[in-house]
Amino acid sequence: MITQLPPRQDVLARRDAIVAGLRRLLPPDGVIAEKLLLKPYETDGLTAYRQVPLAVVLPETTAQVAAIMAFLHREGVRVVPRGAGTSLSGGALPMQDAVVLGLMRMNRILEIDTADRLAVVQAGVTNIGITQAVQAEGFFYAPDPSSQLACMIGGNVNMNAGGAHCLRYGVTANNLLGLKIVTVDGQVIELGGAHLDAAGYDWLGLLTGSEGQLAIVTEVTVRILRSPEGARAMLAAFRANEVAGACVASIIASGIIPVALEFMDRPAIHACEAFAHAGYPLDAEAMLIIEVEGSPAEQDELLGRLRDICARHDPISVKVSSSVAESAAIWKGRKGAFGAVGRISPDYLCMDGVIPTSRLAEVLRRIGEMSAERGLQVANIFHAGDGNLHPLIMFDANDPDSFARAERFGADVLTLCVEVGGCLTGEHGVGVEKRDLMGVQFTATELDQQRRIKSAFDPGWLLNPSKVFPLQPAPA
Amino acid sequence: MQTSFTAAQLRDPAIAASNQVLRTCVHCGFCTATCPTFVLLGDELDSPRGRIYLIKDMLEAGRPATAEVVLHVDRCLSCLSCMTTCPSGVHYMHLVDHARTYVAQTYRRPWHERGLRALLAGVLPYPGRFRRVLAAARLARPFARLLPRGGTLFGRMRAMLAMAPASLPPAGVLDGVGVHRAEGARRFRVALLAGCAQRVLDPAINDATIHLLTRMGGEVVVAAGAGCCGALTHHMGRHAQAMASARANIFAWSDEIDGAGLDGIVMNASGCGTMVKDYGFMFRDEPEAAAAARVAALAMDVSEALEKFGYVPARPAPGLTVAYHSACSLQHGQKVTDTPKVLLRKAGFRVVEPAEGHLCCGSAGTYNLMQPDIAARLRERKLENLRATRPDLVATGNIGCMTQLAGGGLPVVHTVELLDWMAGGPEPAGLCRA
Amino acid sequence: MSARLLADALAPADEAGVAASVRAAFEAGEPLLVQGNGSKRAMLRPVQAARALSAGALSGITLYSPQELVLSARAGTMVADLNAAVAAQGQQITAEIPDFSALLGSTAAPTLGGAVAANLSGPRRVAWGAMRDHVLGVRAVNGTGDIIRSGGRVLKNVTGLDLCKLLTGSHGTLAVLTEVTLKVLPVPERRATLVLRGLDPVQGVAALAAALGSPYGVSAAAYLPASVSHRVPGLNGAAALVRLEDFASFVAYRSERLRADLSAFGQVEVLDDAATLAAWAAVRDAAPLVDEPGAIWRVSVRPSAGPRIAAVLERMFDARWFLDWGGGLVWIAGPATAAAHDAVCAAAREAGGTWTLLRAPEALRAAVAVIPPEPAPLAAIARRVKAAFDPKGILNPGRLRAGE
Repeated sequence: MITQLPPRQDVLARRDAIVAGLRRLLPPDGVIAEKLLLKPYETDGLTAYRQVPLAVVLPETTAQVAAIMAFLHREGVRVVPRGAGTSLSGGALPMQDAVVLGLMRMNRILEIDTADRLAVVQAGVTNIGITQAVQAEGFFYAPDPSSQLACMIGGNVNMNAGGAHCLRYGVTANNLLGLKIVTVDGQVIELGGAHLDAAGYDWLGLLTGSEGQLAIVTEVTVRILRSPEGARAMLAAFRANEVAGACVASIIASGIIPVALEFMDRPAIHACEAFAHAGYPLDAEAMLIIEVEGSPAEQDELLGRLRDICARHDPISVKVSSSVAESAAIWKGRKGAFGAVGRISPDYLCMDGVIPTSRLAEVLRRIGEMSAERGLQVANIFHAGDGNLHPLIMFDANDPDSFARAERFGADVLTLCVEVGGCLTGEHGVGVEKRDLMGVQFTATELDQQRRIKSAFDPGWLLNPSKVFPLQPAPA
Repeated sequence: MQTSFTAAQLRDPAIAASNQVLRTCVHCGFCTATCPTFVLLGDELDSPRGRIYLIKDMLEAGRPATAEVVLHVDRCLSCLSCMTTCPSGVHYMHLVDHARTYVAQTYRRPWHERGLRALLAGVLPYPGRFRRVLAAARLARPFARLLPRGGTLFGRMRAMLAMAPASLPPAGVLDGVGVHRAEGARRFRVALLAGCAQRVLDPAINDATIHLLTRMGGEVVVAAGAGCCGALTHHMGRHAQAMASARANIFAWSDEIDGAGLDGIVMNASGCGTMVKDYGFMFRDEPEAAAAARVAALAMDVSEALEKFGYVPARPAPGLTVAYHSACSLQHGQKVTDTPKVLLRKAGFRVVEPAEGHLCCGSAGTYNLMQPDIAARLRERKLENLRATRPDLVATGNIGCMTQLAGGGLPVVHTVELLDWMAGGPEPAGLCRA
Repeated sequence: MSARLLADALAPADEAGVAASVRAAFEAGEPLLVQGNGSKRAMLRPVQAARALSAGALSGITLYSPQELVLSARAGTMVADLNAAVAAQGQQITAEIPDFSALLGSTAAPTLGGAVAANLSGPRRVAWGAMRDHVLGVRAVNGTGDIIRSGGRVLKNVTGLDLCKLLTGSHGTLAVLTEVTLKVLPVPERRATLVLRGLDPVQGVAALAAALGSPYGVSAAAYLPASVSHRVPGLNGAAALVRLEDFASFVAYRSERLRADLSAFGQVEVLDDAATLAAWAAVRDAAPLVDEPGAIWRVSVRPSAGPRIAAVLERMFDARWFLDWGGGLVWIAGPATAAAHDAVCAAAREAGGTWTLLRAPEALRAAVAVIPPEPAPLAAIARRVKAAFDPKGILNPGRLRAGE
């Protein structure tokens, strides 16, 4: 079990005064302080870790956020920013002595400019909400994390969210133009804007993926792209994980970069099919979802080439989607994969390691061995094109031993990812979950370098405590 | 998700069922995005995931419901949009139904709420009483503006008076207990749930349903003894009253099944359909379990019946654009999504769909009376999305939605009225008036 | 200063040597001019340093896995060598690294480290991202002589703070890059360029916006006014250029569709593969302005604001200019005076954009803000971040801003 910073007793003792101060800054329903009502805020998408916060505030404007931050900074109170609370790494895990700053009410779209191909939105707009706002004009916002229906752009920025299509379109960092941030002491700063590549330090790049350690994001300027003429997915089913992995390498080597290249193993196929009824091949050991874009003729050409490549790997079946509805069903299964595992197991830990794609077969074999050793089932979902592996380790939270085994299993998987040349997290973030594994990937010197940057933004270490950096006294 | 019920708690079948629901939830949060109250209010506590957590905590602790928790459970529309979204298959409906019953049993509401709830539960399910009350309310309507602004109580009173139609239609010609013979050879036989509030507010819906089904060769029986489906009281947590209503229906329809036989039990108010289709679960631990399951299996929305028994239009296409408003109870509760649109297209209408079609219009049974502010915001949002499709009229399959959307500048009619019209029936009155 | 400095230049052969050199400088409190081969020394502000530290001797590709789209090379590896190595495998460096040697009057060979330190991105930036978007991992030596790594050799990585982004474009002021890992992509099978002649700048940028807003995957979009267009092979007179790169059949189909879509703006000609390569190499390296005397600025604004800036500066000092990145990158040549610089800054600021004084006599570069100043709260953070890497301020002091 991961340890947390001890709560600051002086803050707990001043709770009523702090809440009263917050109430002066926000309308009555913008501050939640009743014990019973704080409970639903005790966790996010990673329910293994829970802590009831000191209070929750729900601002609606950047000015309110600035006022809250200035006040809490004066009071020396820690702050946990929260969007939709869909983090799978515990990125929004509250602390007993911390105020949760919920950005869900900041859900307005402020500007759409299709000529300059950008949208300015508040942090609480959902990922899919951006696409929905621009799709009538034929545009879309490219990063598409599986939780895109619910997750909010502010959280996407803080976690540098990826998705199934980032092989072609990049992750959040590659699709941002500007941010409005509020510093820990309540100052409002604009980074970037409607233009590309500000001269000077790449603050935009540094803030993206900083997991709430550096500042609060309240507004985001994103690049929007024109939607392709069309897209179609195909499903290829294989007899073994190794074979599917070899097929992925052949595809990349052929010079075709599909817009998405997703891998699922047998347990994942079964769980998702039960939810989406997409016609996934239930007799396969491994399955690839491959998506291409373009005009119908272009799609046909690419799918033909891909079909030929798959054919060289002795597939069980290769099925090309014939309609928009069929493609949507294929993606519904993939995007609901994590939740769908809820049908076969009451709880799961979702890992997010990245590996060199050439090591896929070996890594999956090792994970299979660990699964047998630990006596826990695992389903593997994998962004195969970019090496981002999501083993879902199933356990029963009502059985404490099962959870302990799952945690150790997860740590072993991530350590393996680093050993083969990969990293701990590709898109979910370190959060609280992988914090204590940071030493596997980084030297003490490297972690200190990162801590000093954190200190430059947040000298008192008030922002999103207990996450990302292994606990130790903050550097001076 | 982890739960912490004791073995003793789990011996209560209701707790055991809720535990199963809670264990299925993985707290992914997808449901928040499609929940109307979360979209409006931006608070986890007003999202399905937040409510699940509040309910879990309340049930685990076994403590009486508190005012704070009741506020957030009450704000739930039971639109079940979350169930459509949920990848894990969490049966939120059963959980929130349990919570409402638990609230009714353990929480004492303020006097005016108790009064209102008793009034609604004592009137709406009973067509005769409801008709008399509406007649009285119509007289009181002009005084609505004298009510003070603000305040929950007065807000609700205004909402109730606004709901009363300016003129009350007479009882429907075909609206009564009995058997309506098929035209020509009998091809099928169905029971129709004549319903309660709907038959008072708009008896033409039942008339159109019966006309259409009999014209298609169906014998339609409105069974004696069948009445309100129980949904109105069920959603107020009045478990015993709801069970009594449902039980009466199960008996009445079982007689028909065992007698002349039934090919279906047709509901033309989709809120009722969701309820009747759930009878099997409601009675799972009752002596009537088998009969209830049999009834539930036969239950079908009128659109499903029309599809099953082969709807064919008879008139030329009317050249009208219909914005199809999918009632939550139909799209989320019963997962009937395409059938009504397919039928409307078949009947010659151009069918368009509003943005945010998954969001509730705010009607939600008695919700518009109990939570008039949220309901009004949802209504405005829905009307805006409907207007944006530039339709000639709006079609929907639920009387609640029809009442909620009425007066928004667009004619609102029941899908079955349009289908009946195109199959030779009269032009819907809602369309003529507009 | 360059001749004397080069004689004194430290050119360690490996990363450990770089670390030792920086450590020594740190202990001595001695500022270093950090560079690769020095090809971009004439950019930005002059550095007052006792010695130069070159990463130029750290050379060679350390990892190249074409089927994983990953390439690692030491910082001193020449860009030309890298381009050749990936081309041999049918791949390319996506950022389309420009070569400013001619613009800056340098004969030194640009290095990977320099391109990354300057975040240099060519025309493909508008569609496929900047250099910083393709940097997967870095190794570097900070201002105390510690070796630090960030990112790695996989395509996705959000582990810890993203120092790859922070160091890319930091011009050696935070750390000395020693090795960089890039994402590479396949070379497209075919290229073509659509040319619309005779449009005025506003119409031209509107055409570029229409092209970039089309579903045809336009990979570059530039506008050349008549005054400089003859320096781009194949052009004579004002022209809007739109590039397609893809499979051959795709390029054929998309050229036709785009030609039809853009026909409202005028006649569309199509340049073939070879002509496309030549034309865009010229745009990439700012060839249209290479022979202009005086100062050169790069201004980045929202694309629709590009023509207005050009018009204002033409009026103020008869600027020569052209537009890349769909109109959002304004290349400007003008007199190397403080007044002209002020005019460029004001125009960029008014459009909500950002500027870089890319080339100017040393005196001017030392006297003015070569990049925009930061608002006070950010400047305070920036000082602390600089100190977090380089507590004694020995790495390229003053390169970006005076006193920093």
